[in-house]
Amino acid sequence: MTGFLDNVLNGLALGAVYALVALGFVVMFKASGVLNFAHGSVLLLGGYLIAVLHDDLGFAGALALAVLSTAALAGALDRFLLQRAGQDEQAAHIQTIATIGIDILIFTDLARRIGGDLLSLGDPWGDAVTELGPVTVADSRLAAIAVSTVVIAAVFALFRFTPWGLSLRAAAEDLEAAALMGVRLRRVRALAWCLAGGLAALAAVFLAAFPAPGLERTTGQIALHAFPAAILGGLASPVGALAGSLLIGLTEALVVGYESDLHVLGDGFGEVAPYAVMLLVLLVRPTGLFGAKGAARV
Amino acid sequence: MNDRTRKAPPVLQVRDVTVRFAGLTALDAVSFTVASGSLHAVIGPNGAGKSTCFNVLSGLTRPASGTVTLGERDLTRLAPHRIAALGVARTFQNIVTTHGTVADNLMLGRHARSRAGFAASALRLPGAVREQRAHLARAREIAELTGLGPHFDSPVHLLSYGDRKRVELARALCLEPRVLLLDEPVAGMNAAERARTAAVIGTLRAELGLSIVLVEHDMGLVMRLADEVTVLDFGRTIAHGTPDEVRRDPQVLRAYLGTGTEEEGAA
Amino acid sequence: MSERLLGLLRGRPARTLLLAVLLCLPPFYLDAFWLRIGLFSMAAAIGAVGLSLLSGTAGQLSLGHAFFLAIGAYGYSYLASDPGPGLPPALAACCAVLLAGAAGGLFSPVAGRVKGIYLGIATLALVFLGHHVLLTWDSVTGGFNGRSVPPLTLGGFTFAASDPELVVLGVPFGAEERLWYLGLALFAFTWFTAGGLLRGRPGRALAALRDSETAAAVMGVDVARHRAAAFVVSSMYAGLAGVLLALAFRRVVPDYFSLALSIDYLAMIVIGGLGSVAGATAGAVFVTALPLLMTRYADQLPLVTAPGSAEGSLGPTEAARYLYGAAIVLVLLYAPDGLHGLARRARARLARRRTPSGGRNPEASASATSAPSSASPSSPAEPAAAAPRSKEHTP
Repeated sequence: MTGFLDNVLNGLALGAVYALVALGFVVMFKASGVLNFAHGSVLLLGGYLIAVLHDDLGFAGALALAVLSTAALAGALDRFLLQRAGQDEQAAHIQTIATIGIDILIFTDLARRIGGDLLSLGDPWGDAVTELGPVTVADSRLAAIAVSTVVIAAVFALFRFTPWGLSLRAAAEDLEAAALMGVRLRRVRALAWCLAGGLAALAAVFLAAFPAPGLERTTGQIALHAFPAAILGGLASPVGALAGSLLIGLTEALVVGYESDLHVLGDGFGEVAPYAVMLLVLLVRPTGLFGAKGAARV
Repeated sequence: MNDRTRKAPPVLQVRDVTVRFAGLTALDAVSFTVASGSLHAVIGPNGAGKSTCFNVLSGLTRPASGTVTLGERDLTRLAPHRIAALGVARTFQNIVTTHGTVADNLMLGRHARSRAGFAASALRLPGAVREQRAHLARAREIAELTGLGPHFDSPVHLLSYGDRKRVELARALCLEPRVLLLDEPVAGMNAAERARTAAVIGTLRAELGLSIVLVEHDMGLVMRLADEVTVLDFGRTIAHGTPDEVRRDPQVLRAYLGTGTEEEGAA
Repeated sequence: MSERLLGLLRGRPARTLLLAVLLCLPPFYLDAFWLRIGLFSMAAAIGAVGLSLLSGTAGQLSLGHAFFLAIGAYGYSYLASDPGPGLPPALAACCAVLLAGAAGGLFSPVAGRVKGIYLGIATLALVFLGHHVLLTWDSVTGGFNGRSVPPLTLGGFTFAASDPELVVLGVPFGAEERLWYLGLALFAFTWFTAGGLLRGRPGRALAALRDSETAAAVMGVDVARHRAAAFVVSSMYAGLAGVLLALAFRRVVPDYFSLALSIDYLAMIVIGGLGSVAGATAGAVFVTALPLLMTRYADQLPLVTAPGSAEGSLGPTEAARYLYGAAIVLVLLYAPDGLHGLARRARARLARRRTPSGGRNPEASASATSAPSSASPSSPAEPAAAAPRSKEHTP
């Protein structure tokens, strides 16, 4: 039973971190119709900045600076680069592919700097563990769950209660009407990207934390795991992103945990299980669990 | 290759069609009949459900209840491409043309009438090549008929609005339809273009013997061309009859004007 | 020379013939390094044409191309191997292509139901799942280390270095030289068939799918069938490319068929220009040749250090990737119809300069090998009215 609880807790922690990334995807998609393939690299950049700065600025300082930097970068990429191609749906398609190019640029640079190293982020929980009844949990995992919950709640509050959130939802519903109502589309969009960028840096902290050995250049590719999470929840639904992330996190943790029993599927199936789940969901609900039928961005 | 047999087009019957979108009833038990070879206009204030009606007729929207029959065939739950194959063509209010030249767009209209498949086209089999040439010639004929002859090889996005509307119409004609659904064919046109389009529509009916269903706001056009008019308001039919009958119907006047007794003049 | 002769020489058949002759020459003059670049480029072009049909013409974003390439490559390697099924290599190659097409067909229920960006990510799933299978199904794929590729034999002739040596016009013909002509033949076949598709009824239907599924459906196009067909056709080209790649590499490993490869192909059609065969080819050559050339001439390039030098320095592979990423971004944002579009516009400008009347008939019958329509997506600056509107009716 402990094995199962262990896996579930791991799954929740993983899901919580994926949620930070998936939420970013959904926010960006809702605001601009673009699926940001460069998100993983932005995430890696956030982690890299913390790794490089935490000696001088302390963990908190480095984290703050990293979050601000990734937020600024993401917002700038959208506002000054992508938005040049326009705001309509076809432009979004083009911009999505453009983010692949941006991803290559950022990743090549970071890969060069990081090389084959494993970087420590200097986080406060280190490799400490806590006993919770029958289960032993890494502090980092508990922190992941706690921080993610708070942050995600804050993001939802932003959606619900701020003018920006309202503008975002309006723009996602009907771009033209929103513009006519005075919503400053460019700014709303750029801010959405900023938010996503900031969330990415935060996610990097937990992805590089124990029991992972540290930040390495492949850490950004974890963002790819959040794709299925965002998709199967329905790309324009923040709630869906949450649900999808938890589902994916649990799936992955359980498959990895019971790998020996699932040997027939091949070693390492845990890595690709999220994609299998996603395909199954899409077959039944082509726009994701919470996606609206036949709508691209509603 | 002229398959315009002078066989009269079958009767298009719409019976008790109801469409609901998330709580809103867009069409409520709408019924009308398009007699063979006639021009039937569907009019009504904005939001009346005219375009929804067209979407049902062309298979893009499934009604919650009711039926649409073309002669003996039940069209109600058929996929749009099957309805097209049966000879029902439509134009769109917001022009939907594909990239490329006028010829490319018109040739798309020939899709239902041609047969070359993937293998035949890829291998450029003589049958496929011949078929393409024949259809291109036919498309050119139709372009001439609708006044697009000189623009046949021009990219569509370079044409004027009026010309692009005509491409929509020509493309629908390329289907060699028996029933033609025209969704606001003169919207946004100036007086001269309207007159020209009206003449073309009249010619289509007279020479090709098509049944035409017309959604329009231009009352003058409707009154001049229509044999029969159905008036919708809030998804319900409020009047039926000849243009004159409808023009005098108090329900219609109330729907359009609220309280006035004068009819609405041509736009 | 008479006017007629000159006219004939300038005509399209003459140009094609000249091009064909030129393309037959390299094995006599170039060494293996260049021939391999050529081979990889040809294979890439075949694959890119397939993806162009799917993404450029039919407008369906696919990141799964690597998966179908893998089926072609591994399918051939496995089917032709002895011990193993031991099929005659030519037959194995055909089967591999059909297998790839079948895989595309199997995926079509997903392709029929799932649209837009969701489809893109679904195809991503294919790559990851496929990669996993390649790693774990050792008996067939050889696992992590991959497997060797049996050479192709066609009617007694082997496309590999033979003993005794084959000497043609004084030049020894090893594997690369022989494969060159196979590649040319396959590429020509691709060019011919893809052109036929694009210019014909299927190509128009697929283009209509991209621009407006509603309009296409209403014009009689069976949308679901065509979306599925687009996948099948594109997968078959990918399978063919996979076979040629396998023959050129002589070894297949799972790590090659990764997301990065899918992205490479996407980049090829973007840079070359979406929706045209010539564009796909140009893009394929660019993406394939660039890193290899930069590695070879690393010492002559400014800012670039030789490969294998201190970590953190700008090696040729990194420099190539920078250029590559930048090319994608720049092309998409500033020249969305890619190299092909640029070439077409340049040619139109030249034509206008030559005919002072400068008629209003732009080159609808433009280059010899592109689709007749300007099938590339509209540039962002195009008037809004021309772009398909999302609302097609007033309520």
